[in-house]
Amino acid sequence: MKNTLFRTATALAVMIPALFMAGHSQAEDLSAAEAFYDGNTINWIVPYSPGGGYDEYSRLIIPYFEKYTGARVRLQNNPGAGGMRGANDIYRAPKDGLTVGIVNGSALVTNQLAGIEGAIYQFESYGFLGRIVADQRVLAISTTGDFDTIEEMLGAGSTFKIGATGLGGSTYVDALVAGELFNLDQDIIHGFDSSSVIRQAMLRRDIVGMWGSYGSAIQDVEDGMQKIVLQSGQERTDAIPNAPTVLELAERMQVGDEKMAVLRAWQGLNDVGRPVVTPPGIPADRLAFLQRAFEQAMNDPEMIEEAQRSGRDLTFANGERMAQIATDAAVMPETAEAFFVEAVAGGI
Amino acid sequence: MGILEGFVGGLFQAFSFDVFPYLLVGSLFGLIVGVIPGLSGHFAMAMAIPFLYTMEPNAGVAFILGAHATVAQGGGITAILFSTPGTGQNAATMLDGPPMRRQGLGGQAVGAALLACFMGATFGAVALAILLPVLQEASLLFGPPEIVILSFLALTFVAVLGKEDMARSLVVALLGLMLAMVGLDNVTNQARFTFDSFALIDGLPLVPVILGLFAVSEMFDLFIRGGSLSDSSDGKAMSMRETQRQIFSGMKITLQKWWLVMRCSSIGTLMGLVPGLGSAPAAFVAYGHAKQTSKDKASFGKGNIEGVIGAEAANDAVEGGALASTIAFGIPGSSSMAILLGGLFILGMETGPRMMISHLDIVFVMIFTIVIGNLIGTIFGMFLVNPLTRATFLRSSILVPVLICIVFTGAYVVHNAWFEMVIALVFGILGYVMKELSYSRAAMLIGLVLGYAIEKNLYLALQLDGPRFYLDPIPLTLVVITLVFLGWNIWTFIRDRKKEA
Repeated sequence: MKNTLFRTATALAVMIPALFMAGHSQAEDLSAAEAFYDGNTINWIVPYSPGGGYDEYSRLIIPYFEKYTGARVRLQNNPGAGGMRGANDIYRAPKDGLTVGIVNGSALVTNQLAGIEGAIYQFESYGFLGRIVADQRVLAISTTGDFDTIEEMLGAGSTFKIGATGLGGSTYVDALVAGELFNLDQDIIHGFDSSSVIRQAMLRRDIVGMWGSYGSAIQDVEDGMQKIVLQSGQERTDAIPNAPTVLELAERMQVGDEKMAVLRAWQGLNDVGRPVVTPPGIPADRLAFLQRAFEQAMNDPEMIEEAQRSGRDLTFANGERMAQIATDAAVMPETAEAFFVEAVAGGI
Repeated sequence: MGILEGFVGGLFQAFSFDVFPYLLVGSLFGLIVGVIPGLSGHFAMAMAIPFLYTMEPNAGVAFILGAHATVAQGGGITAILFSTPGTGQNAATMLDGPPMRRQGLGGQAVGAALLACFMGATFGAVALAILLPVLQEASLLFGPPEIVILSFLALTFVAVLGKEDMARSLVVALLGLMLAMVGLDNVTNQARFTFDSFALIDGLPLVPVILGLFAVSEMFDLFIRGGSLSDSSDGKAMSMRETQRQIFSGMKITLQKWWLVMRCSSIGTLMGLVPGLGSAPAAFVAYGHAKQTSKDKASFGKGNIEGVIGAEAANDAVEGGALASTIAFGIPGSSSMAILLGGLFILGMETGPRMMISHLDIVFVMIFTIVIGNLIGTIFGMFLVNPLTRATFLRSSILVPVLICIVFTGAYVVHNAWFEMVIALVFGILGYVMKELSYSRAAMLIGLVLGYAIEKNLYLALQLDGPRFYLDPIPLTLVVITLVFLGWNIWTFIRDRKKEA
């Protein structure tokens, strides 16, 4: 008995490292990269001001990224032009693997499609370390307003007001997508400074609702100030069982192929979410090393616990998968592309 | 949790061994950040965020809010002693602080500013505590229609600020309004006056503009003029004893002017309640109010201590107001409050109604942090004055390069952008020219700040409530106040003219 145990243990002792090596066949090749990063400094660019979701995610993950790279990571807020300035800064940073950054995936893809002035990047060309979280977009409405469900809004006798930030921003584009799919009788009031100001307008009953990320709506929902009536994604999230998905509603209403193409393109954009990227063309072994470190950081139980405690969702996708998502998102049927180009340019 | 229970709980926590050290460190950190030109409360809080991950909620709140609370105090010291606003909100202090220093009364101005800050902050915090039961209603009072009219009201204070030379003041105020239009228009998506520059897409960034107008221009002036910042005396530094005496006499004057402090603090608190206005216009409006109600209007701008007191009291009273919507709904009223909110999330705190119900003690920790933080700022600020005063006696050929380096670093660091150093330089030249030709830089800044608020909110108000949005009760009241105020100003303007003639 003892003998068997011993033998099993020995076998395992031999097998586990072997398995590990097999799983990471390039583990050997990465030693140069590992030595390069050890004690070196990585710049982590956040294209937004301190205090927002992108900044908080970054500050949450950076200590763990430091732990697995062995490098010192310096966070740098480069806000401006709705995140485009930072995205450009990452894109044209030296290709030495010492600059990474978090970006707003869907906005970058749509801006690129629309040929927005100032976008110097090719989204697919970034090096992808992985995705922190996919976009879960929701339509939240005030609990004190005239509506309770999306069905009531569909049958509304009069025009209702939806709040949005800038023309062509995500809160605006989402509202347009829903309007296009379901012929909503809505008036999109854009020009609010930030989503906080829209929330205030909702509480003042100036507007009925707004599109936004699930993460920023959840607190108001729990406080009974807002309710979610529509959500993005393939199926209903466990946390919001009562709100139909846009897909569900579109199928139920049989919106037609052309509109379904717009919907699928929108879902693809949401999947891009918030990736962490490097400039294009950094040495392959350094990219692989950073991808591995990022994956380890994202799977660190302590990090996951901290994220949960501060109410931050994580839907990690590794670098390889993320690159695929990015490529997929940029390819959409002509009509859908035309729609998003118009929407981002504010032409609709 | 009842309010009394929360009050007592908050009080004990604020002074407990678990919290007070953090409050102390945070406040001192904020004070130093404030002293450095260009670095604002925004920056102090962002720097504090990484430390929050390992802190208890009450300690973390005291730490991060303490760092924010004292920034304006530090900034006031720099504004008075170095003619350089330490933060954007100290721009109004520039009107009467530096002239006092030139008269050899720098210590007195700083003493008055420090105590006015403390009293203003306390006023704002007490107002917040009193408002707690109706906080939600209060923070929903100001939507786009109200903000448009209130901004107009604030704009009319240009008339008070520039009474001596109305034509010049109106010219630059209009220039300020036009400068506010630079950037991508939120409504039409059209880039305006950006000269195809990507860097101007977001409009003119406020901090570099303020640093340019008020700090860089002063450095040019000092360099060209030569001498030192304190050119009153015979080049000998003021003694430590004399500085101390001045600080206390400044504080005494502030105490004597308690009624002015109260009025200016209520202006600050009210304007803090309005999301998106920020504290720079609040300080200017309070300054205008101080000038308007003073018996000695002529000496404003030439070193009247009331101008310093009014501006600094409003500066710190803003915090109480700005916290209201942040606490009531988790809606940040300013960029600093947005960072505070982020910090609260990290600490695992819930803002909004649930915080009011289950964590009232933390709300009171915030209130006490503002008060105690400013008290700490006042006490330690006094120690900073002496060494800093000595620096003002340095030759300009030594001092100017050092200050220019600090100011331009401050301009760069806000957004990590080289371009903002260029903006500081351009506005520095503009500010110098304006100063030489006696155009009011304050009037231009008010135009610029309020231009944003007016244009955006006017559009929203029209979209939401139609062309007669100003006929609702609150906007209508504000319209009446604005018209009365403006009418009265025009009347006194004409009257004074006739008298002169």
